[in-house]
Amino acid sequence: MYEPPFWRDRDRNERLAATECSSCGYVSFPERREVCKRCGERGEFSETTLEERGIVQSYVVQNRLPEAFETPLPLAVLDVPQVDANDGEGTGSEAGDENAGEPARVYGLFTETDPEAMEIGMEAEAVFRETFDIEGLPVHSFKFTVPRGESR
Amino acid sequence: MSSDTSGREACVIGSGMIDFGELFDQSTDDMAERAYLNALDDVDHGISPSEIDAAWFGTLNIADDASSGASLAHATGLFEIPVTRVENACATGSTAFRSAVESVRAGETDVALVLGVEKMRDSAAGLIEGAALDQVWRGRGVTMPAFFGMRATRHMHEFDTTEEQVAKVSVKNHENGAKYPHAHYRFECSVEDVVESPTVTYPLNLYDCCPVTDGAAALLVASEDVASEYTDDPIHVAGSGLSTDSLLRGDDEALVGFPATTQAAGQAYAQADISASEVDVAEVHDCFTITELVTYEDLGFCEKGEGGTLIDEGVVELDGETPVNPSGGLLAKGHPIGASGVAQVVEIYEQLRGEAGAVQVERPEVGLQHNIGIGRNATGSVSCVNVLERR
Ligand SMILES: [Zn+2]
Repeated sequence: MYEPPFWRDRDRNERLAATECSSCGYVSFPERREVCKRCGERGEFSETTLEERGIVQSYVVQNRLPEAFETPLPLAVLDVPQVDANDGEGTGSEAGDENAGEPARVYGLFTETDPEAMEIGMEAEAVFRETFDIEGLPVHSFKFTVPRGESR
Repeated sequence: MSSDTSGREACVIGSGMIDFGELFDQSTDDMAERAYLNALDDVDHGISPSEIDAAWFGTLNIADDASSGASLAHATGLFEIPVTRVENACATGSTAFRSAVESVRAGETDVALVLGVEKMRDSAAGLIEGAALDQVWRGRGVTMPAFFGMRATRHMHEFDTTEEQVAKVSVKNHENGAKYPHAHYRFECSVEDVVESPTVTYPLNLYDCCPVTDGAAALLVASEDVASEYTDDPIHVAGSGLSTDSLLRGDDEALVGFPATTQAAGQAYAQADISASEVDVAEVHDCFTITELVTYEDLGFCEKGEGGTLIDEGVVELDGETPVNPSGGLLAKGHPIGASGVAQVVEIYEQLRGEAGAVQVERPEVGLQHNIGIGRNATGSVSCVNVLERR
């Protein structure tokens, strides 16, 4: 395990803090850069915060993992919208809403979720959990879960 | 993208590989030496080791015993020449080949050796466990089947691709592999066998995944100017491309395929001045069944979303219009990472020369080799495409 990376990203991971490229609108999370990963420009980046929810774009359910992990373990690619994008034009920043700004596309591990409930297009809630520990020191990050009784 | 190859063409003049498998009785050096000697012996008019000007060594160094170009020198006796170790994830072997081709084209090298090797079975942990516990886990728990399986779930959702269509890739490749002497697994399987095999990572089952295999493969690449000294039937490297992408840049194409493959193929087709429809035979990266199915689309063998139809129509079967993975691919042949891409070129070389035996395709003139790897904590891919021609 490498410890410094967790320490470097900790602040942004724990607060869902992201940056948005002024040239192309790409949202970088959790890493902060001086060049944009999508347009390659040395653009201006503005601070933004992500909502504590995401829309599943695709997923898998991992069945074979080392003993340290609980299986079956769902893992998804999710689009996580920005909070109050562009002067708070409502909180419902759905993809396609012109004023909403783009969501960040992230990998998300699931927790406390029935694998059968996984579906492309569904909304999942981001919750903070201990991801794992390094020699007894817990590393916290967000995971995703389908709110109980709200599976759709 | 420049299609200028500086006027100098690179040709393959010899190839060699070993029988892939669980080779507990052979070390990394044993495998590398044997593949090298097989390549020397394959040169029609013969070649002496002193005629090799430079070498490229492809390995991921899974067994932690081959960390630099020195390993190649020790295995082959080729000291006192430039040896460069290349690592580019699972695209390592073909990137090593591409590097040798570039040097020959540039006029730096007349005769180059490309040697790819991987000792997979010496590591107790295995790739999934090692990855899950270390680097890849840090990137949020993405193992290899998860990275590729993500495309399968989305492809089935978006294009109504069925589990059976995906399984057919495994059935086809095992049927071919059963006829291919260097393959690790030489048995046939049915669609039922694939869909009923244990789930590794939904939606991928055991028979959707390539095995853990040791192996080595070697190529001799020469400038067109000197190729005739070694063979009357050299195979030209007509085009080569290499690109990278990221799943997290936000483009939806990356959810159902690999943009890096489309880009690398575009570069290679432009250099070779051909279109996808002119490819007669292909060895493509089928680490998982879904990887091959989306690669048909990314290479332009069919439209995006039509991969399932292509396999239903038999186009990619051994006797089809565009046979894909006559060798059995990584699914049957095995995937010793550093060797895989080199072995794919070996197979295309044999196909174009009509030396592929029981899996020989009818008179191919243009062959394509494609190799893809996961990059950067499983956030993206690196893809290499090479086009070879018999002239
Ligand atoms: Zn940008």
